[in-house]
Amino acid sequence: MVKLRDVTRVYNQGRPNEVRPVDGVSLDIDVGEIAVVKGPSGSGKTTLLALIGCMSRPSAGRILVAGRDVAKLPERFLTEVRRETFGFIFQQLHLIPGISVLENIMLPLYPVDIGFSAAKRRALALIEQLDLAQRRRFKVETLSGGERQRVAIARALINQPRAILADEPTAHLDGGLSGELMRIFGDLRSQGKTLVIATHDPLVYDNPLVDRVFTMRDGRVLDDGDGDGGGA
Amino acid sequence: MILHPGIIALLLTAVLVLGMVLVGAYAGAIVLARWDLDSSSEGQLALERKTYLLSTLMGHALALEILSALVLLYTLDDIHPVFVGAMCATGTLNANPVGWWALGVKILALFCCAIWIALNRIDQRAEDYPLTRLKYGLLLLLAPLLALETWLVFRFFLGLDPNVITSCCGALFSGSGAGVAAEVAGLPALPLMLAFFGGAALYLTAGVLALRLAQPWLRYLVAALALAMLGIALASVIAFISPYHYELPTHHCPFDLLQADYRYIGYPMYLALFGAVFYGLLVGIAEPLRRIPSIQGPIAAAQPRWTLLSMLLLALFITIAAWPMVFSDFTLQGYY
Amino acid sequence: MASGRLGKHLKILEFALSSMLRRRMKNAGLVIVFGAVVFLLSSIVFLTSALRAEALAVLEGAPQLLVQRAMAGRHALIPLRYGETIARLPGVGAVTPRYWGYYYDIYTGANYTLLGIGDARLQAPGATALRLVEGAFIAPRQRGVCVIGAGVARIRGARIGGIVSLRDARGWMQEYEVIGLFESPSRLLTNDLILLAEADLKALFGMPDDGATDLMIEVYNPREVANISRKILERLPDARPIGHAEILRTYETLFNWRGGLLLAMFLGAVAAFMILAWDKATGLSADERREIGILKAIGWETADILALKFWEGAALALVAFLAGVTAGYAHVFYFGAELLAPILKGWSVLFPAIDLEPRIEPYTLTVLFLFTIVPYIVATIVPSWQAAITDPDRVMRSV
Repeated sequence: MVKLRDVTRVYNQGRPNEVRPVDGVSLDIDVGEIAVVKGPSGSGKTTLLALIGCMSRPSAGRILVAGRDVAKLPERFLTEVRRETFGFIFQQLHLIPGISVLENIMLPLYPVDIGFSAAKRRALALIEQLDLAQRRRFKVETLSGGERQRVAIARALINQPRAILADEPTAHLDGGLSGELMRIFGDLRSQGKTLVIATHDPLVYDNPLVDRVFTMRDGRVLDDGDGDGGGA
Repeated sequence: MILHPGIIALLLTAVLVLGMVLVGAYAGAIVLARWDLDSSSEGQLALERKTYLLSTLMGHALALEILSALVLLYTLDDIHPVFVGAMCATGTLNANPVGWWALGVKILALFCCAIWIALNRIDQRAEDYPLTRLKYGLLLLLAPLLALETWLVFRFFLGLDPNVITSCCGALFSGSGAGVAAEVAGLPALPLMLAFFGGAALYLTAGVLALRLAQPWLRYLVAALALAMLGIALASVIAFISPYHYELPTHHCPFDLLQADYRYIGYPMYLALFGAVFYGLLVGIAEPLRRIPSIQGPIAAAQPRWTLLSMLLLALFITIAAWPMVFSDFTLQGYY
Repeated sequence: MASGRLGKHLKILEFALSSMLRRRMKNAGLVIVFGAVVFLLSSIVFLTSALRAEALAVLEGAPQLLVQRAMAGRHALIPLRYGETIARLPGVGAVTPRYWGYYYDIYTGANYTLLGIGDARLQAPGATALRLVEGAFIAPRQRGVCVIGAGVARIRGARIGGIVSLRDARGWMQEYEVIGLFESPSRLLTNDLILLAEADLKALFGMPDDGATDLMIEVYNPREVANISRKILERLPDARPIGHAEILRTYETLFNWRGGLLLAMFLGAVAAFMILAWDKATGLSADERREIGILKAIGWETADILALKFWEGAALALVAFLAGVTAGYAHVFYFGAELLAPILKGWSVLFPAIDLEPRIEPYTLTVLFLFTIVPYIVATIVPSWQAAITDPDRVMRSV
């Protein structure tokens, strides 16, 4: 699914405040697996996730998404690849307040060549699937934490991505909800979707559903992530 | 100078367009100097993002150029009563002959802006932005052209003096007068009619062939014929199309058609003509760019569209132009 | 393809409208400021173009050359034999005497223009533009009757069969039966013109048989007007030729007061430009920035955000434009441009309190569009672009 080769991301290159949140990372993620990137905060997990998800371009190295090198793609085309391939769940969820659950979920389809009614049908199906039917006209700020999380998941799925990228998805959830989330992730994997999760929550990386764990420290991946599941 | 809201709006618009194009040219020059698609630096990303600004600026500039061209034509006509001897836009233009230059350069600039935007559209379809250097190089040429246009427009309007007694279309486009315009008006109608309708038929045939066959020279032919048709059509408007619309064999003015008396028929007519010529030219201009592999596909997909559009617009132009010849009792027979 | 792109823009437009409604208060302020600017500019543009149209309508039928007689600079009746002299000049066509004069009506406090109609039919300025709406024109040798403008009829409450009484040169009241009402494209004419039979008019004003108010000269070639004027002056030193050009120039000078006015208008447009540009550039709240960041992160492209910003600006400008233009239209044509009156004092001398003919043309609207919406949109290009190039991964980095 995704291959990274010697990928480096540098900010403020050549200046005194130069930082390398990702430094020479190589890794492979296969189709249909749940991969976890773990590590303390500030270790470069989020930046790595952004690179994998075509949100930003690496300063050096190659990134292959479904066999295509995207490292040097101009932003316009990078966005196209991202729209077709990835769905994102952010740590802060980043739902837009003031508009309804339905509209929030449909937003990623607005700039895409899909008719309004087709987009709405897709969103309603996801709302049904994620048990949000009662809430679809509600504004997102009136929802509970777990409901918001599910709205964010629905929004990540609306473009029918092949992979879901989640950044610290359990950061604001209690244990019960975290378990519920992992169950949803397991369902998605069984639908053939690839999942990449950045986390430092043991409830996630020690979960038996996880196929592969990469440990990051100071912008580098310490092990090649061949552990299966619990990483014992 | 004559103070007229339309004139002030046109001057304001000219300044805005020039400002946008200058900002665009400046940003374009930076892009031109530093562009390196192989680089992953933040600087290159910033340049790529500048191209969005450039596209937006140029898109707005083109829209304004089109709008202000229409407003210019209407204004020329609207202020003619101020000049003794003027009966339409011709008289206003004659009141300060810089106006002819301003009008000509404006139409040229309009075409150049439109072609630039078409190139930009094609370029953005390819991941390697192959036309970047060409585009921004052209932009650096476009800026002086627009500066010239702005200067001419200002000189024209600021130099208009109501005390000037001007001559109008009756003098300029009279078959018996001297000068190019008069000679065009005095052209024998029949041969020109043959050239006009023959040229149009030839153009449409070439268009159909270019749609059907792959030979590149056909598409160059379409562009060349489009340019030729522009000349023939404008001469025909003066020589016989306008007399038919006015139902007056001696009335040869290409501007009166824009007046309310003739139901503003000139606006759709000229828009159709210029549109047809533009898309026809585009077909040929894009042809050599097909050698670039990454945009070969988009161009090949766009060319038939442009050809078709051009043919349709030309057909529209001919329909409007020939309408009175077919449906009115008036005839130029005897004046041939 | 095209329908897909259209659909995409419709969706973005929908979101633009909904996000504008969410920021109602902020946008309301903008619409009010913008609308006020449009109101001011449209009032000025409507007023100038209406006044200009009035003046041109009057001028339309005006003769190429008028000859009056000036005695020590004072207007005097012109002897008809002057006409014979002028008619002999080469390049001169018909010479027609006109009989007319101003009449101050002490009862209504209004100034009327009385015009005598000879058997040579109508020769009023803009006579060709007069259109009979009711009744008949004065027939040859008909006496004691008049034809009045629709405006005069309204002011005096007169109708067909009614009576208009005027005090003649000897101070006696003369009565004239109204036999017709006319209209013209210019309110200027219909509001103060009364047509009388030529003989009645001469009697009313006490004019001698061999004098006319002025002479209307037909000149075959308009370029010869200046030459012919010179020749007339050589032969008749007390004549005062007034060319079409000269009348136009008079109007132009009258219109030149607009210089200051239009400058104010221009500065207004620039000010609007600056205020709104500034507002857009600096007015992005943290909230809006965050929202754009989210949109970028969930797959909106820079061009999509630019489209969003464009639609937001266009919708806002359109609302303000429509409100401003409507208010400006009402102001000029229904409330007599009251707010502009202090600047317009000069006009009242020339145009005695007229209602302007309501007119709205696509051209006027386009000009207003160029004055208001275009600078606004242009001013917002760069700020919109700056907002649109937000890094897509920004929202991920800001924890």
